[in-house]
Amino acid sequence: MPTNLELKMKQQLSENIDANINTINSLLEDNDDLVIRTFYLQFQQEIKCIMFYLEGIVNANKIDSTLHDLMSYRSANKATENQESSNKELAESIQKHLSHNSSVMVCSNIRDGITAILNGDCLCIIDQSDQGLCVSSKGGDKRAVEEPMSEQVVRGPRDGFTEDIRTNTALVRRRIKDVRLKMEGLKVGTSTQTTINISYISGVVKKGLVEEVKQRLNKINIDGILESNYIEELIRDAPYSPFSTVMNTERPDKVAAALLEGRVAIFVDNTPFVLVVPVNFWDFLQASDDYYLHYLTGTFIRWVRYVAFIISLTLPSIYVLLTSFHQEMIPTALALTIASGREVIPFPVLFEAIVMEIIFELMREAGLRMPKPIGQAVSIVGSLIIGQAAVQAGVVSPFMVIIVALTGISSFAIPNFSAAYSIRLTRFPLLIASGTLGLLGFIGMFFILAIHAVSIRSFGESYLAPATPFKPSDQKDFVVRFPWWGMNRRPQLASGKGVRQATKKPTPPQEEENSNKGSSSVIEAGKYISHEKADDNSKRGRKQRKTIKLADLVASKNKNDQDNRK
Amino acid sequence: MARYFWRTGFMLACLLILTSCVGKREIDDLAMVMGVGLDLVEAENGEQHVKVTAQIARPADARGQTGAPSGQTGEPIWTISATDKSIFGAIRKLGSASSRRIFWAHSYVIVINEDLAKNGIKDIIDFFIRNPELRMRTWVAVTPDNASELVSSLTGLEVIPGQSIDGLFRYSKITRSAPRTQMIDLHAAYLSDSTELYLARLKLESNEISNKQPEQGEKQKNITLAGTGVFKGDKLIGTLSAKETRSLLLFVEDVKSGVGIVKCQDDESKFSTFELVHETLKVTPDYKNGKPEFTLTVRTTAKLVETDCTIGFDDDDKIAELETDIENELKSDVTNMLDKVQNEFGVDILEAGNVFNNEHPSEWKELRNNWNSHFEKAAIHLNMDVKLKSGALLFKPTTSGKKVDQ
Amino acid sequence: MKYKITNGMYMALIINMLYPKAIGITQGSIAREVGSDMWISTLVATLLALLIFWLLVVVIQRIPELDIIDHSKVLFGPLFSKLVSLIMFIYFVLSFGPIMVTFVYHLKDFFLPDAPVILFIVVAVIVGSYAVYFGIEVIARISLIGLFCIILLNTLLIIGSLEDFDIRELLPVFEFGITSPILASRHHLADWSIVMMMCLVILPTVNNDEGWRRSSMFGVIFSLIFVVMWPILETGVLTSQVTSQYLVACMQMARSAHIGFFLHRYEMVMIAFFGISVLTQITIALLCASVCFSKLFGSKKYHPAILPSAIIMGAYGYWVVLNHNRAMGILENSWVTYSLSITLGIIGFMWIIGFFMKKKIKNAK
Repeated sequence: MPTNLELKMKQQLSENIDANINTINSLLEDNDDLVIRTFYLQFQQEIKCIMFYLEGIVNANKIDSTLHDLMSYRSANKATENQESSNKELAESIQKHLSHNSSVMVCSNIRDGITAILNGDCLCIIDQSDQGLCVSSKGGDKRAVEEPMSEQVVRGPRDGFTEDIRTNTALVRRRIKDVRLKMEGLKVGTSTQTTINISYISGVVKKGLVEEVKQRLNKINIDGILESNYIEELIRDAPYSPFSTVMNTERPDKVAAALLEGRVAIFVDNTPFVLVVPVNFWDFLQASDDYYLHYLTGTFIRWVRYVAFIISLTLPSIYVLLTSFHQEMIPTALALTIASGREVIPFPVLFEAIVMEIIFELMREAGLRMPKPIGQAVSIVGSLIIGQAAVQAGVVSPFMVIIVALTGISSFAIPNFSAAYSIRLTRFPLLIASGTLGLLGFIGMFFILAIHAVSIRSFGESYLAPATPFKPSDQKDFVVRFPWWGMNRRPQLASGKGVRQATKKPTPPQEEENSNKGSSSVIEAGKYISHEKADDNSKRGRKQRKTIKLADLVASKNKNDQDNRK
Repeated sequence: MARYFWRTGFMLACLLILTSCVGKREIDDLAMVMGVGLDLVEAENGEQHVKVTAQIARPADARGQTGAPSGQTGEPIWTISATDKSIFGAIRKLGSASSRRIFWAHSYVIVINEDLAKNGIKDIIDFFIRNPELRMRTWVAVTPDNASELVSSLTGLEVIPGQSIDGLFRYSKITRSAPRTQMIDLHAAYLSDSTELYLARLKLESNEISNKQPEQGEKQKNITLAGTGVFKGDKLIGTLSAKETRSLLLFVEDVKSGVGIVKCQDDESKFSTFELVHETLKVTPDYKNGKPEFTLTVRTTAKLVETDCTIGFDDDDKIAELETDIENELKSDVTNMLDKVQNEFGVDILEAGNVFNNEHPSEWKELRNNWNSHFEKAAIHLNMDVKLKSGALLFKPTTSGKKVDQ
Repeated sequence: MKYKITNGMYMALIINMLYPKAIGITQGSIAREVGSDMWISTLVATLLALLIFWLLVVVIQRIPELDIIDHSKVLFGPLFSKLVSLIMFIYFVLSFGPIMVTFVYHLKDFFLPDAPVILFIVVAVIVGSYAVYFGIEVIARISLIGLFCIILLNTLLIIGSLEDFDIRELLPVFEFGITSPILASRHHLADWSIVMMMCLVILPTVNNDEGWRRSSMFGVIFSLIFVVMWPILETGVLTSQVTSQYLVACMQMARSAHIGFFLHRYEMVMIAFFGISVLTQITIALLCASVCFSKLFGSKKYHPAILPSAIIMGAYGYWVVLNHNRAMGILENSWVTYSLSITLGIIGFMWIIGFFMKKKIKNAK
């Protein structure tokens, strides 16, 4: 049974302007920000027009210029000359001839008009015409492009996504000027009508992936999408898993890189976090810095991050199982130090560890929620209380403070916030298991976690790839970040085996002292030929290219020699 | 289905959590033993009992103030002892006197009194090997003194005596006055069909001068490395002095440095001292007329470190003479040791049987059953090769600049 | 089973299935017989295993889509296949004895002497069943992690014990004659038999049946490389006498490893790596058993069979592990006899019978 509201929405615009005004008014009643502007078109006869828009989400300048167009252009008369008989198609002719606005649409039913108003456009209805004009006037205050707060880099672009989806897609478009870059749009959320763009590079993305993403998005039936996490939770593969199988990022360069690797990005309006699928677990441990710094530096900081991951996952559990089960494993000198710190502590280690972990999370959370100036005060008081007073009072052992602090710092080193959180959560079962069952609990729980992580897929890709299942060709961007001239192919999650880049290892030009002029020119020639051939056979990869070059070199050299002899 | 899953999951979780925490012991509930002493005592009824002395660290005092206030008694160790028929019995008795669970894993050293060792140490080896808590890298030594006294005396620079004994062994590669015998070597040697046991020997020696009463001289006792205890089977049968041990170590360990003292050629009352570096020994077994024979080749590089004579490095002949002197000196050392081991003790602690087995496995099968007696009779030839290569920093001899007319 | 695993995973499965028991407990058994010739026995057993593997692959390759039970169904009808699956199921239940001995004695005797045995069994069975639920693909991936752990463990051990390595301990080769090392290789061959039985079940899930022979060969050779290092180090560092004295010789080895003076007793790190590998082994055994169990009752999915087979195997494992004496008796005598006769019997029988029934095989294709 359609409600009254739905019936009204379905109505066509009528020729009677007052009826239309009534309908729209009744739909948008009790809205203080609704502006209704009445004016007259300056034709032979004056035609009454009404403009509706919502204040605040429109660009006032655009409204002004539209009004200016409609009211003062005398040449508009020409527009109406041919259709003097009917005002019915007036709207269409105005759209074609009159308005200076870049996007003017003709709409013929109430629903389209209302949607346009709610989206920040303005709706003009014209007397005696059953068509309205939706003039684009989206605007209102937006946040400027700023440096992303959650993912900062030392070297690399400083722009971050904002809440506005068009700004966001533009930031990516600015980076990839490829005709194959697609931004498919759809709307999700019955109330919020949130715009969602699915972005990918066709031909690079694996077949079926985009369809899969679209299918999952289309299944969503929800009243509102306020943040991209709504989407993330509604489309992810392992709903119960603490590991996130969808990447979110604030960095347009990261999204662009993902698109080039054959992934799909999901832009959601009103949030600066863009989703990327599919992802592997290791992607969460890789930062864009890895690629912007020297490859050795990049590899090194990547290793530091892997170490941070291991520490933040296992260190408290290892400390607990060592001090409460396997004291014989601690080197003697260290055991004495730990024991002397714990001499007066009245709690068992496991309890102490859990309490300290919780206190740490508490301080972090409080510091985050507080207004910035007070947040600092919280962290100072917290560190003083925990670091000094609690240790001196003999409630917490200094070693535990070190362990918890190390764990906390390590989890901050993980570049992705949500991934850092999932690791923080998974360390609690590990902590409890190793605190109750010692090494057995640790191994067992670790194995369960490993099985769980291995069994997850993210949009068809194994979560722990390329480690397991082992993908030899993807190792170039896993433990070691190969220099760019070494990463020739796209990862296996991209379609086909396209060559990504075919630059050779850069070599300085051969010095002329080392070789006489004749042979150096031969080498130049060889290089030239090889380049051309390489372009032809770019799919065959580097090795072949090298052999071609060598063969050419030998051949041309022989020829040269023969010439010389002659 | 899902409900059953959760129900079983809950029950299993209960099972695990309720049955777990067995074997859980907090590190601060442990009395960490740093050194163990084993003595032989006579019980009232005339039986021979074992006295186990445990040197236990007080972590708070051993480590000073680490944040929390704790019992500052000023005594880093606490030593208790107990006597019983078996080691395990004595250890249980120790437990009844300790407020914390006695924890043996961190013990640096096990010291066995020589009287006890003479009666056999098989039970000691077995006990310490069987226990999963104990480390295989614990030092084991014998002592002529009371093990309980040795274990409870403060010694060295370390706060904890066990730690300082550990230090003695660690850096013994230079002094070479005792072998570095760890539990694992002891175990292997005891089980071996050719090699006999030997253990390091520790002694209390008065060599520390009190800071408060320096005029009294070396009054305070310290633990010193003092040679080797030689076993036959599991029984102690004799000891080698520190000097003899130096030669023994050539056979059983890789040595870093040694010392050779040679009389001056021009003045018999004066000496030169050489440091021997890169000492290597090669044992070549041979089988002649039904008897094993061994040829030993020692190669070493000598370095002049201290001299009373006039030795310059510009005279090749003199250097050659010096080399022979050092060779003779070394030779007599090794021969003395071999003499003692072969004739006095008659046991193979030199791993000679093992070497022989490697080269002549078939003959070994005949000799194996009575190896010690064969070893006793084995002829041992000794070749020495000393190269004198440098006089450390100096090239010319240190001679007084004042000229005296003769 | 619709999932396919890659040849690399297949090799990792072979290594994981062999490694945990072969490095320690088996070496102890061998050392008790042949002293310092442990590594020769290991080598001999591996060579024999290579031969049997060749037969095994030949057998399965006749109809590469089917495992051994379905093979027997094609050749002799459903009744015979029930018999085969019953034998296989019993085999895997029996194999849980040595596997649990490996798992429990490593962890319990050296780390948690006070904990009750049942705890270890329960943890093993729960973790195993959880993994089996996800199927062969996940287990195969886990085995890659297991392989990684094995490599780390071996590296750590080499670093920690090379300093004490004494080649002289190895030297008199064939101390007890030539026949005894060959005879003693049966202990290691019994370890191999578990691997072979696993391959009879999972080989059809391996991709690319032309590569089976090659990857099996490489799997065996890699296992040899990972395993043979242990007897050599055990003899060189511990001496064969010490090795023979212990139930779990490799733990003694790990216990004596040390890097410098400060880092000794890091066996916990090693055993953590080892734990992953041994849990993988438990998982695979559980999987194979539940597959056989489900085929015994003619069910197509093996998931309902996980729980009963886990309970049966856990109970048997508990019974074996409870008493050290009984465990070693079973391990060194009856287990070797039964496992070798079942494995060789099944593979040999299927191999020979294949020559007489070429027609049926052709029809099945």
